[in-house]
Amino acid sequence: MEYEVVIGLEIHAELATKSKIYCGCTTEFGGEPNTHCCPICTGMPGVLPVLNKTVVEYAVRAGLATNCTISSFSKQDRKNYFYPDLPKAYQTSQYDLPLCKNGYLEIEVDGEVKKIGITRIHIEEDAGKLIHDESGRVSYVDYNRCGVPLIEIVTEPDMRSSSEVKAFFEKLKSILEYTSVSDCKMQEGSLRADVNLSVRPKGQKELGTRTEIKNLNSVRAIVRAVDGEARRQISVLERNGVIVQETRRWDDEKGESYSMRDKEEAHDYRYFPEPDLTPIVVDEAWLDKIRSSIPELPDDRRKRFMAEYGIPAYDAALITGSKPLADFFEAAAKVSRNAKSISNWIMGDVMKKLNDTGLEPSDMPIKPESLSKLVSLIDENVISGKIAKQVFDIMWDTRKDPADIVEKKGLKVVTDTDAIRSVIIQVISANPKSVEDYKSGKTKAMGFLVGQIMHETKGKADPQAVNRLLKEELDKL
Amino acid sequence: MSISKTEIEKLAKLAKLSFSDEELERFTAEFDEIIAFADTINQSIEGGTEEIRNVGARMVSFDDLRADEVMPSLPNEKILSNVEGYNGFFSVERSKK
Repeated sequence: MEYEVVIGLEIHAELATKSKIYCGCTTEFGGEPNTHCCPICTGMPGVLPVLNKTVVEYAVRAGLATNCTISSFSKQDRKNYFYPDLPKAYQTSQYDLPLCKNGYLEIEVDGEVKKIGITRIHIEEDAGKLIHDESGRVSYVDYNRCGVPLIEIVTEPDMRSSSEVKAFFEKLKSILEYTSVSDCKMQEGSLRADVNLSVRPKGQKELGTRTEIKNLNSVRAIVRAVDGEARRQISVLERNGVIVQETRRWDDEKGESYSMRDKEEAHDYRYFPEPDLTPIVVDEAWLDKIRSSIPELPDDRRKRFMAEYGIPAYDAALITGSKPLADFFEAAAKVSRNAKSISNWIMGDVMKKLNDTGLEPSDMPIKPESLSKLVSLIDENVISGKIAKQVFDIMWDTRKDPADIVEKKGLKVVTDTDAIRSVIIQVISANPKSVEDYKSGKTKAMGFLVGQIMHETKGKADPQAVNRLLKEELDKL
Repeated sequence: MSISKTEIEKLAKLAKLSFSDEELERFTAEFDEIIAFADTINQSIEGGTEEIRNVGARMVSFDDLRADEVMPSLPNEKILSNVEGYNGFFSVERSKK
């Protein structure tokens, strides 16, 4: 039987505020345990939380950028559960009146544009971190992360494949980056996703029983979890089994999910309105102010890059997917006459370097102006494309100016015809066999000779001059 | 609105509390009264949920909220002064989900 997979996401993003949601402690990642804490975020009795203004602004910004309706009136609620990562024994969240609702994003998969609904976006606080002592009988708790502001973005069950999930997630991530709502550093847990997934026979209207896979913290894990869980559910149904509605955890190393065996009543959070916090009222004036703070979003930027810099749709989509990369491109392209070459360098050598070094685009060691200069050096025939790659490596490691590197290392293209000619004569006399081959019509031999000449000149000879002069010399024979 | 003994039992379980049967009976009756009292308040306000919500709620505008500024946190030894700590951490009974 053919099955259809139905997927919805719940995405948690830590907001890029300086201080926590209800107190002035820093949101900075890491730090010695329990040093970013105060009586409010450790849930001491008698304290009162005060909502951070920027939390509301960032959440509204995220809502506006994802086509949501912003509630003029919303409130915060207590979500009650007992677990030591939550010192108050409740998480302050939003229940029935979220700040943003009814939004959507458009994604493109295999050339088809599809709308993915966003049910709601609400604000809440993050929990602390637990370290379990595997040998002993204790767990250690660090509350530095406790009270760091989060938004939870809940989608409609509109996705049908892992490629749609990937497209949606990456789009949302780039929007959160563009609007500076979150730094989206997945390796630090700033952005994480829960996947809700069910399968049903193709054509069936009713949804199947869904499972939830918690806390996926890389795009790769999300994609693998979606594919793995879909496979698991289909195989259960094929064996006439029953899907149990439950929370599961994905083990990315083993490539399978396992049940967390939550007790049913644990899901009863007994939400009630937070009496210590007043309702959030967003009036038109405030909304306008936030609206005007939203920068150009990835879709608009992609279109503009194509029009303004004349780069192909593929390049524009890839580069604008990441804000720091797009900023880098634009800064370089502005001072360059060859935007396409800049884009090629970014998609090729720059992205490869980032991958190899595990650096984020925002931590790039080279300046956009330097890349632009490097491209000019190639275009003006000062260095060859091959040498440029060497220069690029040195730029990356030393952060030096490309022109300086070329000067100091003597990497300039040799255009001096006399110098090149003397190398050619040398190579010709050292390779009589190849010369003979060439003379008898084997044009491939020419390539070998060019290679030898480039080798002798350490890649610095102007290839066009080499070709021309070599032909001249060979014809003389 | 009234509350049943089963609901009280469930709430007690969620709150990780245990009661004798006699206590449960007593709480059921008491909770019933408390909820009836809350209902009276609701009925005394004209209008729907929106109106009830707004009664007594001071409308907070944007400028009343806290500016996003970092304030000093407490030193670690202060945070841990009333608990059993270990290397700067809170130490609790092993609890793995």
